[in-house]
Amino acid sequence: MSNNSHEATTPSKRHKPESPTNHYLSYIISIVLTMLAFAVVLYGDLDRSFIFIFIVTLALVQAVIQLFFWMHAKERGHLFPLIFLAGGAFVALTGVITAVYWVWW
Amino acid sequence: MAHSHTAKRYSGLMDWLTTVDHKKIGILYLIAGGFFFLVGGLEAILIRIQLAYPDQHIFIGDTFNQLTTMHGTTMIFFAAMPVIFAFMNAVVPLQIGARDVAFPFVNALGFWLFFLGGVLMNTSWFLGGAPDAGWTGYAPLSTITDASSATTLQHNIMGTDFYVLGLQIAGIGTLIGGINFLVTIINMRAPGLTYMRLPMFTWTAFITSGLIVLAFPAITVALVELMFDRIFGGAFFDAARGGNNVLWEHLFWIFGHPEVYILILPAFGIISEIVSTFSKKRLFGYSSMVFATVLIGFLGFMVWVHHMFTTGLGPVANSIFSIATMAIAVPTGVKIFNWLFTLWGGQIRFTTANVFATAFIPTFVMGGTTGVMLAIPDADFQYHDTYFVVAHFHYVIVGGLVLGLFAGMYYWWPKMFGRMLSETLGKIHFWFFFIGFHLTFFPQHFLGLMGMPRRVFTYQPGHDLEMGNLISTVGAFLMGIGTIVFLINIISTWAKPKTAVADPWDGRSLEWAIPSPAPEYNFKQTPLVRGLDALWKEKMAGNKEMIPAEPIGSIHMPSPSILPLTMSLGLFIAGFGFMYEHYIVVGIGMAVTLISMFLRSVYDDHGWHIEPEELEDKGGRA
Amino acid sequence: MSTHQTGVLPAHPETATLEGKNKVLGFWLFLGAEVVLFGCLFATYIALRNSVPDGPTAEELFKLNTVAWSTFVLLTSSLTSVFAIMAMHKQKLGQLLFWLLITVLFGLTFLGMEIYEFTEYVHEGHKFVTSAFSTSFYTLVGFHGAHVAFGICWITLLILQGLKKGLTVVTAPKFYVAALYWHFIDLVWVFIFTVVYLMGKVGH
Repeated sequence: MSNNSHEATTPSKRHKPESPTNHYLSYIISIVLTMLAFAVVLYGDLDRSFIFIFIVTLALVQAVIQLFFWMHAKERGHLFPLIFLAGGAFVALTGVITAVYWVWW
Repeated sequence: MAHSHTAKRYSGLMDWLTTVDHKKIGILYLIAGGFFFLVGGLEAILIRIQLAYPDQHIFIGDTFNQLTTMHGTTMIFFAAMPVIFAFMNAVVPLQIGARDVAFPFVNALGFWLFFLGGVLMNTSWFLGGAPDAGWTGYAPLSTITDASSATTLQHNIMGTDFYVLGLQIAGIGTLIGGINFLVTIINMRAPGLTYMRLPMFTWTAFITSGLIVLAFPAITVALVELMFDRIFGGAFFDAARGGNNVLWEHLFWIFGHPEVYILILPAFGIISEIVSTFSKKRLFGYSSMVFATVLIGFLGFMVWVHHMFTTGLGPVANSIFSIATMAIAVPTGVKIFNWLFTLWGGQIRFTTANVFATAFIPTFVMGGTTGVMLAIPDADFQYHDTYFVVAHFHYVIVGGLVLGLFAGMYYWWPKMFGRMLSETLGKIHFWFFFIGFHLTFFPQHFLGLMGMPRRVFTYQPGHDLEMGNLISTVGAFLMGIGTIVFLINIISTWAKPKTAVADPWDGRSLEWAIPSPAPEYNFKQTPLVRGLDALWKEKMAGNKEMIPAEPIGSIHMPSPSILPLTMSLGLFIAGFGFMYEHYIVVGIGMAVTLISMFLRSVYDDHGWHIEPEELEDKGGRA
Repeated sequence: MSTHQTGVLPAHPETATLEGKNKVLGFWLFLGAEVVLFGCLFATYIALRNSVPDGPTAEELFKLNTVAWSTFVLLTSSLTSVFAIMAMHKQKLGQLLFWLLITVLFGLTFLGMEIYEFTEYVHEGHKFVTSAFSTSFYTLVGFHGAHVAFGICWITLLILQGLKKGLTVVTAPKFYVAALYWHFIDLVWVFIFTVVYLMGKVGH
């Protein structure tokens, strides 16, 4: 174990240079999902609750894509980050459920 | 790496103001937390003086409300949590075989933010009145800012501003402290120290830190919203403009419930360490202890509505949270039984630390059972806002957490200070405090059942409330005496030379493998861990010391810095600016903080090194 | 001291040292806390979004075309920050700093559009103090905007540091963490435009 925290501790591995393809793909998908959400709201003559669920789902999908491709979350060594993001999302969800059901007037 | 710096070393006061050493920061937390414990204790004594007899007029009205608010807020945020952080700082890096925490600078920052937040809130006593809306700050009482509706506040209009700003500043400190310990435990464990070989105190520190990271942002949001309402005219909690007070309660308790688990889990960890060391036995059921701790942490986020059963959320909501609350008793019970089974058949030594720890067990159980009683919504409609609740939470916080913290002090004092606290004075401290505690809070169960409400500054004679209140006040004074005995113990110990040995208790974990007090660099060589109870494993194999995992080499140490203090001072100044709506002061304060952050970012300080030659000398000296 | 020979950096310089690993992990944990923070702000907004006793409602107020453009701008800035990190992994300091600069410019554009949007709303009678809806709107969206502003200052400072100190195992974690932050605020924006603007337009 090195005492000096500024010494490189891992040797350079043979590393495939990151291809930008995945990143462009994530970008395009995000744009498409966004446009879809806007379109449904502006032009969709649909039931309100359906629209809500649909656009929130689109947002979640976009979030997952950005998380996994742009924030490298799918690479190894990201267990704890994912645990805490999930934990945070869980607590946030309890807050949102509270706001929807348990804030009476 | 061979790049020698002239090490920046300060001495005296500057050493303490600029330190980034977790051991010194632990001591700072202990001193500051201890100071605020005395402040909160004084507030409690004053409350009990007022309530000793019916119809007294010593501390009444808004003054009384200030005392109860500040007693609660100070004890939880400025006494209990800092002492917990004191132990986490002093002990966790040692227990994992590390030389410091992951972010020493941020560690110091966390301390100064807490300290200045506490100071800010307490300046209110001298600046027109302390916060008076309860430690829970419920809106719309806490949103009153104009004189016309302030008659109930007896014109103490600014009090709650101190609450809002002081807690926000201190809260940031706690949050970054939580992040720090998580990264430390995840990334900096010694070789061989897998998660399931961690000492229980480190496990509880780990889960507690996780709870802090996920719970504190909720109170931050609540306080920001309260601040926006009070200072910027927001409408979050103003019914006339569509605001909603139940929202405050939800946000507060979504934080508030995990907060009480943040308070108690470290105490559980301390008890596990002490009970096992002084029974000379491995902790019974280690895996189930770990699992129970994780489960308590998780369930802690699912029960907050049990503080709100009477707000009218309806039977469905109440039932869900009632069941979840009762469920938490299960992993807690697992822990109690594990401690009992550890003690059973052990060679028990009743050192003061162990006396406090074993007293914790039945006392905490008493508090826990009243908790289960409170978990039943129908029953809670009777208990809510009575002294029954006060009795419950003091049993778990004082009879639980505080007894655990005292136990930890007697246990780890030699490692922190190189001296042993007097066992004789310790036992005297214990008996005064323990008897005083039960005298204070046991009658309060009955006072509550007989109908005495909370947060009232007096009561009428002829309702059978006199005896319970008087006994309760006597008990409070006994606790005060016990605390004074403890202070005497500390002071008289301070006068003695540092003669404690590395391992005064025949300990089982890594902190006892190094000299007392711990040397600046902690471990000359990072140890190799071969099993649970790392040090005990080596002792059983006939070794006097830990097997090193690395050769002796130069040790990298982080540099001290004044920037954590300046960053915190900037926010402190800005806080006053916000409270008095002097935005130039806000600007100055924020500028101080931002400039400090800029300097920190731009000037990379790579620390300094202790060379092997110096290590041979350094031996057992701090 | 760390190596200044930028040619010999390891493949992932940001986590090549213990300090770097700690910083990256610590920042992820901070992002977990930020998820809770924004989550509570969202919860507040959701609870109060229809609380308009007096004043304009979401449906009347929001202009979806402005929001669509600012979404596009922020999303693109997130992409450019990805390019910056890719350049960092290829040890091309010049490209890294260039993409960071583009990111900052897009961020400034986003902020400009948002400030313009807010001034319009204020003229239409939607002020911070108007209603619980307006307070929670400005708090939620404003907090996001404040995060964008902080990010812009931070990344600008890092660009200047990059010019001065180059790409080393010490500066790499700083760039990486700033990029993570920037992605995060884009992620939050995805939920803001969905929950605040789109759901607002759908109506009560």
